[in-house]
Amino acid sequence: MESAVKKDNSLHRILVIAKNTFREAIRDRILYNLILFVLLITVSAIFLSELTAGQEARVIVNLGLSSTLIFGVFISIFVGVSLVWKEIEKRTVYSIFSKPVGRGEFIVGKYLGLCLTILVNVAVMGAGVSLALVYVGGGRLAGTIWAAVFLIFLELTIITAVAIMFSSFSTPALSALLTFFVFLIGHFSSSLRDLAQGLGSRSAILFFNAIYYLLPNLSNFSFITNSSNGDIAPIAMLGGAAVYAIIFDVVLLTITVVIFKRRNFK
Amino acid sequence: MPDGIVKRIILPAIVIIAGLAVVIVMSGYLERVKPPLPDGYDDSDLSMNGSRLRGYGLGMEGLMADWYWMRSLQYIGAKVENSKSDLINIDDLRDLNPRLLYPLLDNATDLDPHFIAAYSYGAIVLPAIDANKAIAIAEKGIANNPNEWRLYQHLGYIYWKLKQYDKSAEIYSKGSEIAGAAPFMKMMAGVVKNDGGSRETSRKIFQQMYDGSDDPMVRLTAIRRLNDYDSLDELEAINKILADHKQNTGRCANSLVEILPMIAGVHLPEGRDFRIDNKNQLVDPTDAPYLLDKQTCRAKIDRERSSLVTK
Repeated sequence: MESAVKKDNSLHRILVIAKNTFREAIRDRILYNLILFVLLITVSAIFLSELTAGQEARVIVNLGLSSTLIFGVFISIFVGVSLVWKEIEKRTVYSIFSKPVGRGEFIVGKYLGLCLTILVNVAVMGAGVSLALVYVGGGRLAGTIWAAVFLIFLELTIITAVAIMFSSFSTPALSALLTFFVFLIGHFSSSLRDLAQGLGSRSAILFFNAIYYLLPNLSNFSFITNSSNGDIAPIAMLGGAAVYAIIFDVVLLTITVVIFKRRNFK
Repeated sequence: MPDGIVKRIILPAIVIIAGLAVVIVMSGYLERVKPPLPDGYDDSDLSMNGSRLRGYGLGMEGLMADWYWMRSLQYIGAKVENSKSDLINIDDLRDLNPRLLYPLLDNATDLDPHFIAAYSYGAIVLPAIDANKAIAIAEKGIANNPNEWRLYQHLGYIYWKLKQYDKSAEIYSKGSEIAGAAPFMKMMAGVVKNDGGSRETSRKIFQQMYDGSDDPMVRLTAIRRLNDYDSLDELEAINKILADHKQNTGRCANSLVEILPMIAGVHLPEGRDFRIDNKNQLVDPTDAPYLLDKQTCRAKIDRERSSLVTK
């Protein structure tokens, strides 16, 4: 009974931290990037017909969703790495931990708050792309792109978790750099593995296999090109990707919490 | 005026406006003094190979494919624009030396193997540059998209252009077996096999290309060809009337207006009629008036005004 109450309280504390993180992100004008995005999509929708010889719908999908991914990655990295660091730097973390808030709850709450910010960002961008598609007469794609939008969100949850993990023991600049490397290698890992197989070197195969399995394989979430051709993502793929992302998120957050618990804030 | 306003608003405004004005002037100056790129720069080989880029596009291979696609359109557009010739022969574009078109489309389709518009564009334009490359891109499209019957239509068209009618018929027939293929594919297999070289077959091929495609480039190519065939039919009919007129009167007509009463009873293929504009002139399918060459007593296309593109 007591344990159930404690869990309820814990969940409540996580949600409060998440809500505050989301509010803070809004106050920090994180969502201002949407203005730039809307401008990009509007200009594309108007001018692309001149440049693409009838392929404006697919170009809008590729351009819009690629921008969604890039904008999202930048938010995940730059906000993610400063999320915990800012609290330590401003010493607000001391007042937080003077209350009955666990370090794990703090990390998970911060993470969920940023994920909520990213979700809003991605959803608005997806809606922008859909509207642009309706404008250029690509209404069919307006619905099918949402699978790719969902997969982009899943990918960003992993990037966010990686950013928070690095920021739990490193400086923001280094954390941002390392997270960006994980983003790059995460996309290249399957190609690098194939390349190593072609080279035939045993050590190269072992090394790239290790990278492939240990780092998140972000190409699992790549569906932008398929979406631009009107492909519909199979449910098994979406479900599998969601499970894969959640497992990675849990692992990364666990590592973060373990590291963060060892830090001395006294 | 208060000193504060000058310092806080007017002075910075002057600096910004003057700075921007100088930047605009400097941009023009730098453009003028910058050494021009060598003539062959546009045709310098692509530094990136699409198949090698695949897997390294951070999931944005489609966007990279779009870039190559737009680049291929601009490449051909610039070639046509910069051509010194007044007339572009769309059956043979080799004079323009558009040797990068294939690599650009190849890269686009390497990065996005389902990019049907790129295959279609290559299959329609490349025969005028290098038929083997046209076949290669169409076959690549079929290999990557075996259920796209339109790519069979394009490949059949390439073989038809090469006057390999049996092969063309075979491709049309193969394409007709794909689920969802337009019924004309089966019909075309027979028409090309039995009467491949006739103008009527050509007209059917381009009419179906026009009717069956959503791609503006394909439709533009098809409509240009259809206009050419219409014009050829019209010229043949006008020249026959001119010859009859000369035989009956012993002289060539003074102008094409003189033979207008005689063309009333002439029927063009497909039940079409001659086009006469509001100035009572016989006009071609692009609304440019036909000219009369009195020396040969034959009608001809006004190359200055007509948009008909074939020689």
